[in-house]
Amino acid sequence: MNPNHMVAVHDFSPETLAAVAAHLEASTEFEHLVYREAELDAIWSLTGFAPAQHADAQRLHEAAHRAHDLVGEGWPQEAAALLRAFL
Amino acid sequence: MLSREESELLTRAGPGTAAGDYFRRFWLPALLATEVPAPDCPPVRLRILGEDLVAFRDTEGRVGMVDEYCPHRRASLFWGRNEECGLRCVYHGWKFEVSGACVDMPNEPPEYGLDNKVRIVAYPTREYGGIIWAYLGPAERLPELPKLEWARVPESHRYISKRRQETNYLQAIEGGIDSSHSNFLHASVDAFRVTPDYVEKVKNSSNLRARYHLLDRVPRFTVKKTDYGLVIAVRRNAGEDTYYWRLTQFLLPSHTIIPYQKGLSIHGHCWVPRDDETCWVWTMSWNPEAPLSAEEWKTIREGTFVHADVDPVSFRPYRNKDNDYQIDRAEQRNHSMTGIHGFAAQDQAIQESMGPIVDRTRERLGTSDTAIIAMRRLLLQQMRALRDDQEPFAAHHGAIYWVRSASLLLKRDVPFDEGARDLVAAQV
Repeated sequence: MNPNHMVAVHDFSPETLAAVAAHLEASTEFEHLVYREAELDAIWSLTGFAPAQHADAQRLHEAAHRAHDLVGEGWPQEAAALLRAFL
Repeated sequence: MLSREESELLTRAGPGTAAGDYFRRFWLPALLATEVPAPDCPPVRLRILGEDLVAFRDTEGRVGMVDEYCPHRRASLFWGRNEECGLRCVYHGWKFEVSGACVDMPNEPPEYGLDNKVRIVAYPTREYGGIIWAYLGPAERLPELPKLEWARVPESHRYISKRRQETNYLQAIEGGIDSSHSNFLHASVDAFRVTPDYVEKVKNSSNLRARYHLLDRVPRFTVKKTDYGLVIAVRRNAGEDTYYWRLTQFLLPSHTIIPYQKGLSIHGHCWVPRDDETCWVWTMSWNPEAPLSAEEWKTIREGTFVHADVDPVSFRPYRNKDNDYQIDRAEQRNHSMTGIHGFAAQDQAIQESMGPIVDRTRERLGTSDTAIIAMRRLLLQQMRALRDDQEPFAAHHGAIYWVRSASLLLKRDVPFDEGARDLVAAQV
């Protein structure tokens, strides 16, 4: 796992969330945080398009938003913890 | 996505705002030198960072940039007489030097000595690379001019234009560094559809961009933070063991250099906030090795590529939102994706369609938006640092701007920053 590589976010499955969380935990540099923000943007977008009755998606949508803001503020570990709550 | 708070921080550029304070730490392109061509020529109006100014070239050739409004009764100095080393308000005759000092008040008794005490807001200027640059920040923080290659080539080797765009500056930068849009917004219908005719045309073309964009339409984005800003590296599969790389620089606070192919001209932009809802788009084309060719001048004259055809006073493009950018639907059906003539007009049309300040809380970014995310984060970091009294490094180190973009083929195991090292240094 290399924080310089972006996770391909095609869905919000547990595997994808685990991969993004692991990359978040390894991220320390400006560039890493940019890639993590892009991945969280993708999760936020996908969950935002999920049907309204998909309760997990709605909760994850809010969590991804919060995690995204945490990354922007320089707190990737805390962002990872938010994602790990869904695993 | 960006929070409303961060979007506000980035987009408001008037006096006393985070972005406004940040831009006020740099020399900014303000006027084409040709707008004030000769001593005592007519003054010109200028709006920049939310401030209304008037510029004039005095009898000795110095360029002054002062508050548009006379401190006496607030009449516009645009109507002023530019004479004998100063700009005189035609309302009551008060006269100001380029330094802002009032040197004559003919309607006041001389014994009051008011003309020694009154000043108008005046900003330092420099003439450099065919542009009048202005510095609107604190006098004790005067920055260095950026050592940009286009500013140092002979005049015959470059062309510079400016146009007024009706969007916030940030939206315009985002358009400039979003390299994936060029495969769509600026494409021909044949290129977009990858027709057999188009494939035949480009498969052996010397234009590497056309050839490799065809082979791989899903590029990978990498960003790297530098002293001057960012390198945005976009990678496409080329041969079995090679990648095609395109490297764009984003230079603080708002310059870019578009990837170029060796032997051709280089193009770049700088975006300067006019106010919160409009910006100046500066476009530079230069050839470090030779004067611009007849073909390049033709492209410039016809507004086909990155330069727009503009009104010479307002600098508003002739193709603008009032006339739907002169869209030609038949052209759109048969030839170009937009039906709008010229890359500059295409960019302007699409960026203005998003509204003056796009609502970034509602956008859905993808991995191809990595450069946009990086640029916003970098500017936010810089603006917050300035609020904590950390001066921007780039503003005081002009030499770090001595870089050039690149596009090249590299073996897959060669990192782009190593493989392109010799190409990304400017060479004038």
